[in-house]
Formats: sequence, C-alpha cells, structure tokens
Amino acid sequence: MTMSSEDLKSRLKELLITGLRLQDVAPAGIADDQPIFVDGLGLDSIDALELVVLIEEHFGIAIPDEEVGKKAFASINALADFIAAEQSRDA
Amino acid sequence: MTRSSPPTRQVVVTGLGTVNALGSSVGAFAAALRAGTSGIAPLTLFDTAGFRARIAAQVRDDAPPEELAASLRRRLSRSDVFALRATAEALTESGITDVVAPERIGLVLGGTTGGMLRAEECLRARLEGRSTRYLPDPILGSPISVSADVVADVFDIRGPRLSLSTACSSSGNALGTALDWLRLGRIDAVVTGGTESLCRMTFAGFNALHALSLEPCRPFDRRRSGLSLGEGAAILVVESAAQAARRGARAHAELVGWGNSADAHHLTAPHPEGTGAILAMRRALANAALRPDDVDYINAHGTGTPLNDAVEAAAIGAVFGDAASRLAVSSTKGAVGHTLGAAGAIEALATILALRDGFIPPTVNLAEPEPEWALDLVPGRSRDATLRYALSNSYGFGGNNTSVVLGHA
Repeated sequence: MTMSSEDLKSRLKELLITGLRLQDVAPAGIADDQPIFVDGLGLDSIDALELVVLIEEHFGIAIPDEEVGKKAFASINALADFIAAEQSRDA
Repeated sequence: MTRSSPPTRQVVVTGLGTVNALGSSVGAFAAALRAGTSGIAPLTLFDTAGFRARIAAQVRDDAPPEELAASLRRRLSRSDVFALRATAEALTESGITDVVAPERIGLVLGGTTGGMLRAEECLRARLEGRSTRYLPDPILGSPISVSADVVADVFDIRGPRLSLSTACSSSGNALGTALDWLRLGRIDAVVTGGTESLCRMTFAGFNALHALSLEPCRPFDRRRSGLSLGEGAAILVVESAAQAARRGARAHAELVGWGNSADAHHLTAPHPEGTGAILAMRRALANAALRPDDVDYINAHGTGTPLNDAVEAAAIGAVFGDAASRLAVSSTKGAVGHTLGAAGAIEALATILALRDGFIPPTVNLAEPEPEWALDLVPGRSRDATLRYALSNSYGFGGNNTSVVLGHA
C-alpha cells in the first residue's frame, strides 16, 4: 500500500527530526522544497549516511550511491518523489 | 625574588575561561571560591539507583553554545560543550586570535572520559529497545581527542594539537606541555586546559572502589571518607611575557615551571612514601628556578580519600621542610569536586585567581584537620593574602604526578 503524497512528506519530516535528533526543529518548520543539506536544514555528510540507513530501514529502499542520494536528498519533495517512484517500480 | 637563573623565556597567562559546578564564568567561579561555597549536591545527570554515593559537583548550566550550527551543536558531547564555552571566554578576553596567526597557536587539552556519557546513552537506547540500531555518535564523540578537535575547528586553531590523558593529572600535564612549547619557541601562543564530563562509567567505577564519599568530600579532615566527583572545563591562553607586554594584554599570572613523575607502584594507591609526589614537586621548583621558601601557597590535589591526603601532606612536609609550617595549603575539591581530567586546569585557574586577586581559597568542608600535620590547611573560609608563588598539585591513578608552579604577574 502506498501513502498519499502529503502523508509521505509528513512521515519523512518526522523521520528526519527523530532519526537525526534535530532538537530545535518542528515538522511545520521544514518546507517541502527547502534544501535538506548545508544551507537548508544545516545537515552534513554524516547525517546523509544516517539518512540512507533510515530510508532503508523504514521504506526498504536502498540508495546505492552518492549520485542517487544527491538527487533524492535535495528536499522533502524530491525524497517523497524518489520513494514513490521506487515503490511503484516494485509494485 | 630569589630566582637565580630564569628559564629561557617568561610565560604569562592572558586569557581565562571556565564552566564548572561553582559557576559558568571566571568571575562567578572566583566569587564562589572566595565565598567558600560548595557545588556538591544530589546528582541528577543520570539515575544513581544502586550506587552507594548519590552526590556530585554537577554543572547545571550545560547548554551548547547557541551560535553554533545545528548540525554541530547536536553532535557535541558534554565534554565538548564545556571546552567550547570555556575556550570562548578565554579567547574573547585574551584577543590572541586577532594578533597571532592560526598556525602559530597551539592547543593541548587534558581529559579522561571524552564523550563517554553519550556513548553510554546510545548503548542504553539500543539495549532498552528505544533505538533499533546503533548511531554513529559513539565513534564521532567518545574518543578523548575529540574535544580538542572541536575546539580547534570552531575557533580555527591550526598549530600543534595534543590531547593528553594521564588520569587525574591530565590537564596539569597539558599546562606543562604548553609551557615547554612556548619556551622552545615552537609557537606564539597556546590554548591549554582540560575538560571532563560526569558519566556512569567513572561514577560506577569510583563507587565500586569505595572511593566516593557518601557526604560532600572533606579534604584533609580526620573524618574524610572519600572523594566527590565533579565536572567542567578550564581553559587558559598562554604566551610569552614579551609578546603580552608588546600587545598590551593583561597578564593574570606567570606560568613559571612544572614537573612530573611516575610512582610505578599501584593501579590506584599512591606510593606510601609519596616518592612520586615529592619528585614532581621538586622537579617543578627546579624547573621554575625557585626554592621552597619562595612558595606561599599550595593548591593541593587533596581529594578527601584517606590515602591521598595523608601521603600528600607528608610529601609537602618532605619537600618544604621548615618552610611547610608557614605555607598555606588548601584543596578546592570540597567546592568544585574532583573533576578528574579537568582538575589540573580548574585548580590551576583557582591558583591564578588567588595570585591575581590576593586571597587563599579555603578547604571547603574541612572541620577537623588531622592534628599531626603541621600545615595551615585554610579550613572553611578564604583569607586575604599577597602571594608570590604557588604550586598546583595533581596526582592521578596509576601513579601520574604533576606539579605546576604559578607566580604573581
């Protein structure tokens, strides 16, 4: 079963906050098109490694290399699109 | 002044910073030291169920610096937070980074537990099912070297960097190393000191050794029954007296000399005759080109354990002879606790404040000094006094002994 796009985005925001321990950030404080890394949420390359594991653990989707990761982790919108595409490919 | 052959170059302390149970700034720490208050209270940092002792000198004001990026702030260990805040205070005051290039500033810090507290929490979360996997936190944060890495990164310090871990003498050795670097002309300024966070491992370990006092520790008291753990950081900026004078920096005190030695005797107990402690004090005086009667004050290691205090008192008697009876000797551990890897730095800071502000910090909680020691142990209340030179002693498990000599600037 796939989630609606809005549900998926809020689940991803929750996952970012709890999984990466972003104490000062609320889900409403993350814009769907905001960059996740560096200037956006201020996350770094170590967070990226953790995020890869979190996505695999929670969605069963592997991020094979940096190329794919860079695109998928551009924003919440990009990550939701990436997951939806992977899920529909498996379906 | 009886210094016959002064060391190659005079070194002074031009920046001070601290976070500890008595205060989150040098001003607050100095006021609390002088007032004779104690920071030892019920420990709330983690659950103390199952331990004999339930108290410690815990830092209450422990927030990471707000100006740091969120990604760094949430990765900091408690030791890192203390080190960063103390360094910010010391660097701001000294202004050294405005005049000395980053490559010419060294960094040498002491510590013993690093990010252990966070590693413990990570392990517990996994074992208790609150986390489904191990996080990278332990490897990122727990090595003892990380606090110095983070300090260097945040403040752009690119000279030689060392992290020293010699149990409770760690930061005494850091200060001595800083002095050597400056005397050798390897660099133009050093940021030095120590940082230490309370954690379950040290608390449980000292508890298991029956080394923790059930009541706030009472150094040098007849009824002393152990130590009280503490935490915090102290950071000093040191440079040559000539450079400090040239740039108009305030010299709080002179870092005059140091000495260290090893007992080679036991994992926890000091050598019964204090051979290591005596050797470290004698080396420190020789390194400073001073005689015993030049020294007016000793900030003792004075943990409050039956063995340490007895051996240290006897060692002071052996080194200072007749001069011992006119010395003031006090331990600040009844006030700030035993901060392990940060103790040498926090106590050197207390000694610097005593020299600078003209007072002798009291031995807090000392009510009944052992009668056979002919020492002025400054029980309970601080005293005004003009001090010329002072010694700060640090003795660590495993027989690691360090003494640092500080002088009125």
